[in-house]
Amino acid sequence: MAFKGIKTKDRHIQNLAGIVDGSRSILYHKEDLIAYDCDGFTIHKHLPKAVVFPKNTEEVAEIVKYCAKHHLPFLARGAGTGLSGGAVPLNSEVVISLVRMKNLISIDLENRRAVVEPGFVNLKLTNSISDKGYYYAPDPSSQYCCTIGGNVAENAGGAHCLKYGVTTNHILGLEVVLPDGEVIELGHNGIPDAPGYDLLGLLTGSEGTLGIVTKITVRILKNPEAKKTVLAYFDRVADGSQAVSDIISAGIVPAALEMMDKTAIEGVEAAAFPVGHPKDIAAVLLIEVDGIAAGIDEQIAQILEVCKNRHVREVREAANEEERARWWANRKTGFGAMGAISPDYLVQDGVIPRSRLPEVLDRIEEISAESGLRIANIFHAGDGNLHPLVLFDARIPGQTEKAIDAGSACLQACADAGGTITGEHGVGIEKREEMRFVFKEEEITAQTNIRQVFNPDNLLNAGKLFPTPGRCGEVKKEMKEALLTQ
Amino acid sequence: MRQVEEKPSPACTSAKSLSNYLWSDHPDENKWADCTHCGMCLESCPTYEQTGQEQHSPRGRVHLIKSVAEGKLEVNTQFMDPVYACLDCRACTTACPANVDVGGLIEEARGQIRQAMPLTGWKGSVSKLFLKGLFPHPNRLNSLGNVLKFYQKSGMQKVVRKSKLINIMPDHLVEMESIMPKVDTSVRKKYKNENVIKSTQPTKNEVALLTGCVMDVMFSDINESTINVLTRNGSDVSIPKNQTCCGALHVHAGDRDTGRKLAKQNIEAFESSEKVIVNAAGCGCMLQEYGELFREVEPEWHDRAVAFSKKVEDVSKYLHDTGYKKPKAALNKRITYHDACHLAHGQGVRREPRNILLDIPGVDMVHMPNADRCCGSAGIYNITNPEMAGDVLESKMKNVPDDVDMISMGNPGCMLQMAIGVQKYGRNQKIVHTVQLLDWAYQKEDGEVADNGI
Ligand SMILES: Cc1cc2nc3c(=O)[nH]c(=O)nc-3n(C[C@H](O)[C@H](O)[C@H](O)COP(=O)(O)OP(=O)(O)OC[C@H]3O[C@@H](n4cnc5c(N)ncnc54)[C@H](O)[C@@H]3O)c2cc1C
Ligand code: SF4
Ligand code: SF4
Repeated sequence: MAFKGIKTKDRHIQNLAGIVDGSRSILYHKEDLIAYDCDGFTIHKHLPKAVVFPKNTEEVAEIVKYCAKHHLPFLARGAGTGLSGGAVPLNSEVVISLVRMKNLISIDLENRRAVVEPGFVNLKLTNSISDKGYYYAPDPSSQYCCTIGGNVAENAGGAHCLKYGVTTNHILGLEVVLPDGEVIELGHNGIPDAPGYDLLGLLTGSEGTLGIVTKITVRILKNPEAKKTVLAYFDRVADGSQAVSDIISAGIVPAALEMMDKTAIEGVEAAAFPVGHPKDIAAVLLIEVDGIAAGIDEQIAQILEVCKNRHVREVREAANEEERARWWANRKTGFGAMGAISPDYLVQDGVIPRSRLPEVLDRIEEISAESGLRIANIFHAGDGNLHPLVLFDARIPGQTEKAIDAGSACLQACADAGGTITGEHGVGIEKREEMRFVFKEEEITAQTNIRQVFNPDNLLNAGKLFPTPGRCGEVKKEMKEALLTQ
Repeated sequence: MRQVEEKPSPACTSAKSLSNYLWSDHPDENKWADCTHCGMCLESCPTYEQTGQEQHSPRGRVHLIKSVAEGKLEVNTQFMDPVYACLDCRACTTACPANVDVGGLIEEARGQIRQAMPLTGWKGSVSKLFLKGLFPHPNRLNSLGNVLKFYQKSGMQKVVRKSKLINIMPDHLVEMESIMPKVDTSVRKKYKNENVIKSTQPTKNEVALLTGCVMDVMFSDINESTINVLTRNGSDVSIPKNQTCCGALHVHAGDRDTGRKLAKQNIEAFESSEKVIVNAAGCGCMLQEYGELFREVEPEWHDRAVAFSKKVEDVSKYLHDTGYKKPKAALNKRITYHDACHLAHGQGVRREPRNILLDIPGVDMVHMPNADRCCGSAGIYNITNPEMAGDVLESKMKNVPDDVDMISMGNPGCMLQMAIGVQKYGRNQKIVHTVQLLDWAYQKEDGEVADNGI
């Protein structure tokens, strides 16, 4: 049956259009599809077969059933802000966009939880409850746009996760469409710690390879009674990192403890939200403490003391909410700001033990020198989550490959320091190979066996998260070849 | 009905073409080079909000425009849709951490599309009538104004409305008809024999006023108010005779040639003025971007255009920066403020008009959530894309607080669109321009009006 307004004979497109109820809810022209050929990770691009926009769980389940029956690869997509290529349709997938499922279903202040659809944007949750004195804690820098469904898939973290934990610590229940179309509920009535296996934990952070999340029950928190924010400027990176360690050793758990190095400062100052950081500074720390009003001043005094002992050049406390908001906007738009000083960037996402910060940073500086590419560092210093940003220009032949290698070398440095290869951005396509830095072949197989249980035909988001067994090195090579033919 | 036809490529491809962009003045590579594809602009975009589709988002549009340059897409109808569905509201420019000039890219892409696929059908005729036949010709607009005036005064309007003739007009035109402002005498006509309208105070500054084409015909009282507040605060005002339409509508529609023609005329008309004051945000924004038009074509005009742009300032910012007297009489009204896109996102003017309103005694300012969200007017967008414009307007109206008497703003296009909104959703707010409120407060102070009906 030809569906009204659908200008193609492809029967799959016709049938999918039937499920989502018409031409306004499906894209299949090349010109439209090209907007879906990548996400925030732009090195690998591929056109999807189609993009469908379901409006409820039933439609998602129907689409999935259809794809499973006809052996069409498919994947879920939220806002497409992912930084590891999780939403890139490598196998010409049918992309199931969840952005039209963007309702806030319910708020239950008494039990401190809210239920949202997967396309609901992270920041909107806090905005909807802030007047009542509540907020949603996980705050990835992309929170203005990324979806909570995408956050669950990537187990997103954020600046304030040092004290409050990452997404997984705030998920109480999920409704999931499994790769065969079955709809299941995990987490009973939002009561945490159900007996049996922790399937909520397994699903959270599974990068869209085990199922499609269609409803999420999250924990919401009461606003802290008081909050103070401080900027500290250091002439030496080592002093800044040492100060970070000292603050934590002093027993203070700041709500956020962020750091940017000189190149990163150059970027944010050249971009949309400059705050006037001194240009000649080696590192800036953004420190926020919150909690009961009584303890705050004392903590701030302690932090100032620590900074002084580490030869801080200048410390400033935010004078008012407006200034505080400006500092955060400056920090949170940090990745995008690199566009102002470099045509392209590759963001890496390593984690290291805090105490090894200075030496890893030294190593990154060496990598930068060896590759001839500038590397800016923005990081959640409090939990040792580094974001080296490799700056390059894809138009210059050879630079992209160099950037990929430099990025990989940064991750190797993190792994060597006893850390790991991703803190919050996920593995996706980008870090499939680097999984071998931290897992043995058997450990990887054990995990793909789990995927097999949920996703036996591997139709859902194939080719992500794990390296293909025994093809060490080849995938990286493939990636480079793909680049050259683009 | 097909509205476009594909025109053969230019016989000899110009040296300045770029891959599938066949004409010069094509989208500027340096503009998209800044885009890191981060997606931080998505939620700012009203068309993405409505559709959830990324080709209708700033990031998607930039990506599409770049893809044509890379030879992956061609300039065709399917490419045209997302590029023309953009409201040109510039909210993405504010949101983008890398300062990508999405609006500039869109306008350049439209220029290419219009050359590749000239408009035909009724859209072609309407666009020709308005863009080529009317806007560049203030005199013709004036006579159109006279027709409108006649239409309103003669009672014909009443007849039309009563006789249900209106029922045969397309919905969005009916909506427009019903909120058509009362047409008064244009200030260009009124002051045509005066070289300078002297300040009523000792002169501090001399400024020239852009009267705007639509503004002066449909909203001449706002121009009148602008002159009043300027002269009351020490500025002598001149109205250069040869000035013309700013060209924004043409440039938005992809007709960059006419845009350049009008730009040159304005650059010359205001050559001897130190300061050019504008009270229509859309025009102000255009005047401040004339340099873009001469990036590749007629580059000898580029520097002049840039120098001209530097002189252009919105009236609220000018008053704010040069100082104005706080009115003494009170206007006891509850007022909310709508940020016109081309003022807030286009010129970064947000604080100034609000401060002016706060300086009027008796004004109770009520916060409007998402005040800088587009109302859907966007030049003639509400005529060319009525459906999307209607959806965007609906979201806007949801944010207008219930209990206010007036909605103040700084752009005539928004005023028309918001007036449609007020009527369509059964609200009862009066739509006013910020300088009008200031002017009325002064008049009240002088005892010239009892309460001016406001
Ligand atoms: C400027 C910038 C800053 C960022 N900062 C941070 C940060 O501070 N912390 C952080 O953790 N991340 C950060 N990110 C990465 C990214 O924003 C997060 O990974 C986010 O969670 C992705 O959400 P999304 O809606 O964009 O998902 P998408 O990018 O659309 O998808 C990401 C993955 O999730 C899967 N997925 C999406 N929705 C669903 C669903 N409903 N069910 C199942 N699978 C799904 C997709 O298949 C894909 O594999 C940043 C990104 C950018 C561009
Ligand atoms: S100008 Fe407005 S409508 Fe156009 S892409 Fe930007 S935000 Fe969207
Ligand atoms: S336009 Fe700006 S905000 Fe949007 S994707 Fe590009 S860099 Fe990011």
